[in-house]
Amino acid sequence: MGTARVVFDRWSDRYAQRMADVRSSAVRDLFAAATRPDMISFSGGMPEIRRVPIDSVINATASALRDSGTEALQYGSSEGRPKIRQVVVDLMGEIGVRVKADDLVITAGAQQALDLVAKIFIDPGDVIITEGPTYLGALQAFSAYQPNVVCIPMDAEGMRTDILAAELKRLGPRGAKFIYTIPNFQNPAGVTLTPQRRRELLDLAREYDIPVIEDDPYGRLRFEGGHCLPLRALDDEVIYLGTFSKIFAPGLRLGWVIAPRPILAKFLLAKQAADLCGSAFAQTTAERYFADTRWRRVLQDLTRAYAERRDAMIEALSEHFPAEASWTAPEGGFFVWVEMPAFLDLKSILAEAVERGVTYVPGDAFFPDGRGRNCMRLGFCYAEPDAIREGIRRLAEVLEDRLELYRAFAAAGALPTVDADERG
Amino acid sequence: MNEKIAVLMGGQSLEREVSLMSGKRVCDALEAEGYRVLALDVTSDLTATLRSERPDAVYIALHGKFGEDGTVQELLEFLGIPYTGPGVVASALAWDKALSKRLFVADGVPTPAWVTFTAAAFKQMGAATALDLVPEAVGGFPVVVKPSKQGSALGLTKVDDASGLAEALLTALSYGDTAIVEKWVDGRELAVSVVDDPQGDARVFPPVEMEPKSGLFDFSAMYTQGETDYYVPARLDAATTEAVTGLAARVHRLLGCERVSRVDMVVDPSGRPYVLEVNTSPGMTETSLLPMAAAAEGIGFQELVAHLVRSTLEAAR
Repeated sequence: MGTARVVFDRWSDRYAQRMADVRSSAVRDLFAAATRPDMISFSGGMPEIRRVPIDSVINATASALRDSGTEALQYGSSEGRPKIRQVVVDLMGEIGVRVKADDLVITAGAQQALDLVAKIFIDPGDVIITEGPTYLGALQAFSAYQPNVVCIPMDAEGMRTDILAAELKRLGPRGAKFIYTIPNFQNPAGVTLTPQRRRELLDLAREYDIPVIEDDPYGRLRFEGGHCLPLRALDDEVIYLGTFSKIFAPGLRLGWVIAPRPILAKFLLAKQAADLCGSAFAQTTAERYFADTRWRRVLQDLTRAYAERRDAMIEALSEHFPAEASWTAPEGGFFVWVEMPAFLDLKSILAEAVERGVTYVPGDAFFPDGRGRNCMRLGFCYAEPDAIREGIRRLAEVLEDRLELYRAFAAAGALPTVDADERG
Repeated sequence: MNEKIAVLMGGQSLEREVSLMSGKRVCDALEAEGYRVLALDVTSDLTATLRSERPDAVYIALHGKFGEDGTVQELLEFLGIPYTGPGVVASALAWDKALSKRLFVADGVPTPAWVTFTAAAFKQMGAATALDLVPEAVGGFPVVVKPSKQGSALGLTKVDDASGLAEALLTALSYGDTAIVEKWVDGRELAVSVVDDPQGDARVFPPVEMEPKSGLFDFSAMYTQGETDYYVPARLDAATTEAVTGLAARVHRLLGCERVSRVDMVVDPSGRPYVLEVNTSPGMTETSLLPMAAAAEGIGFQELVAHLVRSTLEAAR
């Protein structure tokens, strides 16, 4: 009897090796189930865009087209329009980084910068160093170039520089292509690299001659405590990635990269190959938006709203979460990182959370190697304070229920009771 | 012919996304057949919408809890609307793997040895102290641990030795209050689709064989193209094909499935088949097994959907 192998995609043996790791994930489908009206989402990292006054944006767009229409609709220069680069120069000056317009390139969000940085630095098998956990989108951008990712754990003061030192010693001088860090209100951990750790990190990078990439999307969303100087302010060699997504709007897809000139030249070549140039229309609109001083009030208003939500989440966590849980205390940004006892698989527990009307992102998404299953990222950026409190209450019920089961296994000796902390 | 058919899809089950894909394709097929089609994402408005729209029949393209477990079937009977697929009892029996396996055994249908645990047995009765008895009860490792009531292989883990058992149970119990630990049978995995013909006799389509590259036919293997190789008909000798086909028809009748079911099995190297579970709302996506089997029989997707709806309408007359 004849039998035939069923062919769905006749190109399946032609795809590049780098696509091999991209698999359909049950977690993604769980999020698709998370669309009922009373669902409370802690899974997203979306800014509270409803507070950006749409009139200001309409005015900025209209004036962009009225005054510079032919430029806004034409191809632009690959490095970005001079005016928007000047806006970035001024923004950077406010946080202690002195650069000239020629020191930076405008990108399609910081995400493009991550892709291009990976493209110019990573050959298959190269070692790169990141925090562990780290930004999911960075892991995705990097993984397409097939690096070997070494994750450095964090504590309340950010990346553990003592562990970094040990890793660098093991790897030797120039043993990694770069060190990638999100020093402010890290995504997903919510912690901030202290000034002392910043200096230690830079000293180590100098000692081992390894470039540092500083990704700083949330730096201006500080709720309390003093501003920490960016790594780039302490060392001109640092590659700095910035974005308009959190201080204006992600819909414009505008970010920037600041880098030493030789690196910037390579970056520009890669950028030209990727998209010739960024959107002149978006750049012109942003120029106008930032020319109007009201953007500062909007940003203050936004930051205050995020702070209220952070407070609501931390209070609710303290009130409702089981004693076995621990979490970080972000002084800004979007995220709280929660750690549960090892052996509690928060990826499968997500199914139950979705049924009870609350979502989060399981921690293993933020590691390249399957670690972090007992952790979760909670975004407080999008839900209103009352919804946050209700969502944390629901989530606590789910966790308490799972913990009861976990304790039953542990009491019978079927699971270890000790909290084997793989993060050291 | 211009009947109005409501296609139920989506809903809040964990398989919402798969259901939306199934539903979309079913809608397209029914429109091409000339039916008036009403695509309904299942929300709290469902009952009111069905009452005001008064469809002639409902096509259930829901997967998972509430769509496959008898819930929506019970509601549609109450509203007096005929629906595709098996009735309340068959749906409820098939949805609960622990229950349907008991029926298999009672009727002499081969199924891998298994044990069932509820969350309450662990929490309130100390069942975890007896996990050491599991290997003997099912005939040793490896085993598959899965939720008793869940589709798309969500929450399924293959466990090779005692050290992974408790964790796999915790995972499975995140998807429902009951988990089963089932002896792993090495062999060819098959999906055998059964569709009742216009006379009401069970017609068995050629078995489809799944060969997942990872060795485990889990969610990712099911829905990522290229992760699983499929063979139609399955690579079986004539005698085994006949045995498998006969077994599928028998199980279809045993659970009282009407119109359609998909019986999942595994055939060990000696040619002995074991029934794993029955699906009463088989997937209808591009990579789904029922449409694949129908195609091997020369029945296109549109024809398959039309047949299911037509027989539902006729049965209601």
